[in-house]
Amino acid sequence: MMNQGGTTETVAPAETYSLENQHVVDASQGQTSSYIPQTTGIDALSWTIHRADHSSTQNGILASSTGNYQYDYHTEPPTRNAQGGLNVAPLTSSSSSLGTSNVSQDYNGYASYPNSTDPYGYGSAGYPSYYNSYQQQQQSNHSSYPQQQSNHSSYPQQQSNHSGYQQQQSNHSGYQQQQQSNHSSYQQQQSNHSYSQPVGAYQNTGVPYQPLSSFQNTGSYAGPASYSSTYYNPGDYQTAGGYPSGSYSNQTTSWSDGNYTNYTTHQYTNYTPESAGAYSSSTAPEPSLHYQQQYKQWADYYSQTEVSCAPGTENISSTNKSHVACPIPGVSGGYQTSNSQTPPSYTPSWRPDSGSSALPSVQPTAGISGANDVYWQHGAPSSQVHHTSPMQTQSQKPLDSRTYDSFQDQQKAVYSQGPNVHYHATQHESYQLPIKTVQPLDTRRVSKLQIPTNPRIASNLTFSLPKTDKDSFTTSASAKPAHVSVSLPTTNQKVMCNDAADSILKTGMFPKSLRGYVERALARCKDDTQTCQAVMKEIITKATADGTLYTRDWDNEPLFPLPNADAADKDSFQYSTPGAALLKHKRSPSIRPKSRWEPLPEEKLLDKSASMVTDTVKYGGWMNANERDRKPFVGNNESKENHLSATRYSPLDQKNASRNMQRLVKKQRFADGFKAADNGDASSDSDKEQSLTAYYSSAIVLANTPEERKRRENRSKRFEKRQGQAEKSHFKPKNAGGGNLYGRRASALVLSKSFEDGGTRAVEDIDWDSLTVKGTCHEIEKRYLRLTSAPDPTSVRPEEVLEKALDMVQKSEKNYLYKCDQLKSIRQDLTVQHIRNQLTVKVYETHARLALEVGDLPEYNQCQSQLKTLYAEGIEGCHMEFSAYNLLGVILHSNNYRDLLSSMSRLSVEAKEDEAVKHALAVRAAVTSGNYVLFFRLYKTAPNLNTCLMDLYVEKMRYKAVSCMSRSYRPTIPVSYITQVLGFTTPKNEECDQDSYGLGECVTWLKAHGACLIPDNSGEMLLDTKASCSSLYMPEPEDAVAHGDASLAVNDFLTRTSL
Amino acid sequence: MAYLSMGEAHRRIADYLNRFSDAVSSQDGASLSLLLSLSSNSPSLLSLADALNLFQDTSRVIKQSDKYSQYTEIFIHLFRSLQTYRLGNLADAYQAFEKSANAFIQEFRNWESASAWALEALYVVAYEIRVLAERADRELALNGKSPEKLKAAGSFLMKMFGVLAGKGPKRVGALYVTCQLFKIYFKLGTVHLCRSVIRSIETARIFDFEEFPKRDKVTYMYYTGRLEVFNENFPAADHKLSYALMHCNPHCEANIRMILKYLIPVKLSMGILPKDWLLEKYKLVEYRDVVQALKRGDLRLLRHALQEHEDRFLRSGVYLVLEKLELQVYQRLVKKIYIIQKQKDPNKAHQVKLEVIVKALKWLEMDMDVDEVECIMAILIYKNLVKGYFAHKSKVVVLSKQDPFPKLNGKPVDS
Repeated sequence: MMNQGGTTETVAPAETYSLENQHVVDASQGQTSSYIPQTTGIDALSWTIHRADHSSTQNGILASSTGNYQYDYHTEPPTRNAQGGLNVAPLTSSSSSLGTSNVSQDYNGYASYPNSTDPYGYGSAGYPSYYNSYQQQQQSNHSSYPQQQSNHSSYPQQQSNHSGYQQQQSNHSGYQQQQQSNHSSYQQQQSNHSYSQPVGAYQNTGVPYQPLSSFQNTGSYAGPASYSSTYYNPGDYQTAGGYPSGSYSNQTTSWSDGNYTNYTTHQYTNYTPESAGAYSSSTAPEPSLHYQQQYKQWADYYSQTEVSCAPGTENISSTNKSHVACPIPGVSGGYQTSNSQTPPSYTPSWRPDSGSSALPSVQPTAGISGANDVYWQHGAPSSQVHHTSPMQTQSQKPLDSRTYDSFQDQQKAVYSQGPNVHYHATQHESYQLPIKTVQPLDTRRVSKLQIPTNPRIASNLTFSLPKTDKDSFTTSASAKPAHVSVSLPTTNQKVMCNDAADSILKTGMFPKSLRGYVERALARCKDDTQTCQAVMKEIITKATADGTLYTRDWDNEPLFPLPNADAADKDSFQYSTPGAALLKHKRSPSIRPKSRWEPLPEEKLLDKSASMVTDTVKYGGWMNANERDRKPFVGNNESKENHLSATRYSPLDQKNASRNMQRLVKKQRFADGFKAADNGDASSDSDKEQSLTAYYSSAIVLANTPEERKRRENRSKRFEKRQGQAEKSHFKPKNAGGGNLYGRRASALVLSKSFEDGGTRAVEDIDWDSLTVKGTCHEIEKRYLRLTSAPDPTSVRPEEVLEKALDMVQKSEKNYLYKCDQLKSIRQDLTVQHIRNQLTVKVYETHARLALEVGDLPEYNQCQSQLKTLYAEGIEGCHMEFSAYNLLGVILHSNNYRDLLSSMSRLSVEAKEDEAVKHALAVRAAVTSGNYVLFFRLYKTAPNLNTCLMDLYVEKMRYKAVSCMSRSYRPTIPVSYITQVLGFTTPKNEECDQDSYGLGECVTWLKAHGACLIPDNSGEMLLDTKASCSSLYMPEPEDAVAHGDASLAVNDFLTRTSL
Repeated sequence: MAYLSMGEAHRRIADYLNRFSDAVSSQDGASLSLLLSLSSNSPSLLSLADALNLFQDTSRVIKQSDKYSQYTEIFIHLFRSLQTYRLGNLADAYQAFEKSANAFIQEFRNWESASAWALEALYVVAYEIRVLAERADRELALNGKSPEKLKAAGSFLMKMFGVLAGKGPKRVGALYVTCQLFKIYFKLGTVHLCRSVIRSIETARIFDFEEFPKRDKVTYMYYTGRLEVFNENFPAADHKLSYALMHCNPHCEANIRMILKYLIPVKLSMGILPKDWLLEKYKLVEYRDVVQALKRGDLRLLRHALQEHEDRFLRSGVYLVLEKLELQVYQRLVKKIYIIQKQKDPNKAHQVKLEVIVKALKWLEMDMDVDEVECIMAILIYKNLVKGYFAHKSKVVVLSKQDPFPKLNGKPVDS
């Protein structure tokens, strides 16, 4: 169904809409089928209401917003409706419907995404429209469900602000009061949220939401951020831990069990778990609280979850921000964790719910319904159920996104297989995580009460969120738990925020005292709400974990110390660390953080938290995974896609992210392009919009990245590059509906790489620039050791120390091997620190001269080639001296005519006036003409170290000269003449010995070369030219080694090592 | 640009597509090559480019008909290339054109089984690839980016060469592609890459060199002759460049000049001097002083000529060849001394005192001492430019009584 829908959607915008609707319908149908059994009656009512609202609002929104969005909305409404219809139980139904609606929305979005045009249209139009629609929907929801709206707004805010959470909770409570209608609205909201999330715009949505919510959204941004964070968290979880997958799976399992099963099975299989996990986690926390509050809470939860989901989707962009922000508050971390946690809890809850509800296939719905019922009836169970349901919804949303992705993928498959593959890959990644989560979920499910869930439930009941988190932690893999834990705190914080805002509504969730505590804490650290939130989350999670959440005297609880950001970060880190999956996710998360950061950073987050950055990074990894997952999904949801892409970009951090983004974008664009082509002009607009949204998201990402850069020097460079790429890709997509190569590649890479292996990175993805370090070592002397890993700053000397080291080497009395070793280590330190200035030139010049002096040509050549580029960069040095060396090197060592010609033609006019260069040119002339007299004269007058290079040619020159002389001269030549002409004399030696010394050397040399010497009457040695003519030969060099490099001889090696 | 209606744009695109498919179906290589000749700036292509700029959704048009859609890959990229070319974005134009050419080669494989009708179009593609790449590189260099398109064009043409190097009628196209490759490699300074292509041309039995079109043969001989100059293989260089000169279209004076630019130094190094009118006609007057110096044994004039045109000679790569003419100038100088001595005293003419030569060089303002001149004399004898021997004790060059100054007569100086 989904796939078909997606495909159809892709076909045409309108069609897509219809498709989306269909999808939604399908999803809803599937869901409905499951749901219907559950709570058709009430839900139907509520749904109908909701539907009406949604449809109206959505329609309005849709109309207002781009068609895509509208479609999405429409789809949402339908799905909601369907879900609603399906969902008999208000809560469950709502949640399910929400989930379905979300799903449908996601699908729509995805569908649009897959379809380049559609997605774009969705994305572009969709985002705004989404936002609008979301807002509108929210508004509509709000209108229908004022509380819901407020809740929604509060959600985002809540996420950002703990108070927001509280508000949300309150809203939830309000929702609960509103009950089904609220739920429905919630669902809608969720859908809206999800939409808004995709929109990425999230920020926008967040803003609108905030206004709408006005509720406690003050923190609105923070709230959105928090939402996004939550969202992100889900996303992160999904990606990272497979939270998403877990959530997805949960959703799928639960939801699909009825409807999704298919979907999930397809896409979800992987994704479902992840998404479910993530979603569930995210939703779970909120839901738990809400659930505690009961149905209202549920509604709230739903709304919250929805909100969170929406924020999440929005957050993809906003989440980034929120992440940024969130990390700062700690909320983000918490959110993420909460999400992750929640997913597990959700899944469990879902399972229990399903179990309780009894509909296996419909489990989600049934569970939801049952849960809802239970929740309604029972605090804890219901809360769990609710949680689950929210989770489901969330998960559904993720699932939806996934399903969308799958749809998209399918569509893509139809249109382009690539996207599908990618999606699958992403799904797989998410799946991995999800799988883990799934298992926990399963276990939970198995135990209807879900042992994990039970604790969670208990926790939920008591503290729904904390407990759920804990449960999720325990149940889910360690990695997941970590996330869960994080998410739980965040959720708690959010809840708290909400509570603060809507203490009344939320009371059910957390103890009032706790809310008060949170409020106090938040009020105290307004400046650093993020860290504060994170800390709060931590505290709450701990409390839940300890079971003291309800028992503790929050009124008297000392407020945590303000410097929370670090702790929050640490927590986040810890969370991230728990699982291998997490680690993998972390990688991806890093990327995501950008996206997350982007939204938030733009607003505030960037500046706020360095620690947040780290968190975000870690989370980002998760986020990335989520994003990746989402991306596929995103394909459907434009906004999601954008977010995803943004997140992906950011997660990839830089290269990966950008690449992924680009690739995704490209793919999408391709798909879009195809669709667009099919659709015609209409699609182009949507594409443009999409591209714009993508652009914005990328921009956001970029904004986020800068912060990270500041904080992380290593990454900064990557980010820039990636950002640039991302931007480019975004732009390109915009420009060409056909899709940019970059985007395609990026998306492909992202999909394949990131998804296939959350952890592994291709070598080309490694940003070596990021390995640039700032040395802190202050030892002047350092042995050279070839780097086999990233340089350790503590062993790298900063520039001023290197200067001293160079000075030390120049003054050193030790032998060349020592100096060479020292200079190599200096060069290495310069390289890893990217120092390229006059000091660098000086080091290389010094080393080159030393190498020349001892005839270490390999080292000399290295230095010479480096110096060439350094001089080319305009760095001052002994340029002429070394161009003379270069020329000599070419002349004397390569018999290459062309090299010589090109070297000569490259010489500047002033270079030709230089003494050293002139000398070198004269040497060249002497060599080419074979003028040995001139050569040895030049040898004696050589400036600088030209002699050293000429030394290398002396032997050859002498041999040629003697051959020539023995041919030309008759009958004899006095050896004394040869000694003089061929430079055997060393005039500067002791006066008395010099002639005889030179003569003796010459005789030795001549004899060694087979010359025929005869003494003349006076006893002077003469060269018998005629005899020598045929007897001359070139002796084998004495120091020859088999490998041709005497400096590598064993003896030499031993002397080196003995240093 | 006049306003272009959407309908008109569509019509132009459709017209182009139609002409393309007609040319293919009628195997009209000439028309086809016109449609591909991007850099010809033909009005029809320029107007098509304008239409493309207006009409974005070309892929839909292409897909409208089966007869177009099989060339979708060619069209899409070609259109994009045209568009960007029209907009002056040459790097992108090249990129797109290479993709289009790639698709074209795929189609070409199918077309060429029976006859080689599309060779002409393929030539155009190869030419466009190179020219576009050169221009794109210029553009990139101006923008401070690394020019790499020509390199890419080189590898693409290698691929094209592979397509043509098989058996069948299309193999006669291989030499054209080879020549384009030469042009690229010489421009890039990566002439060592020529070797593999040359080997396949000269050793492969499927290539009968005389079967190739004359223009390609001339171009090929010109470039391989230049390679031999680099390798200082003057007899081979002489042979190839002479072949190019003999077969070159006499009306293509620019081409003849290019050939002579290398052939003259090669001939000079073998003792064959050009007539003055030849240098005048082909505007190679930079060689005139060199020739004069050789005739007169005027070392100063030679060095002066080399210095004056150093940049030009270095760039064309004949500097070192001309520099080696110094020995011939010395030979001429000694010969002149010998002739003068012979006129004064035929009996002692074969004994040339070193101090006489030093004095002669002094008159030429060549500041060389006895040792140096002795060395040069030794080298002259060693290189067989002078027959005889040098008596160190008496500092006299003893010349052979028979043909003391053997002429090179087309043989290079012994190395």
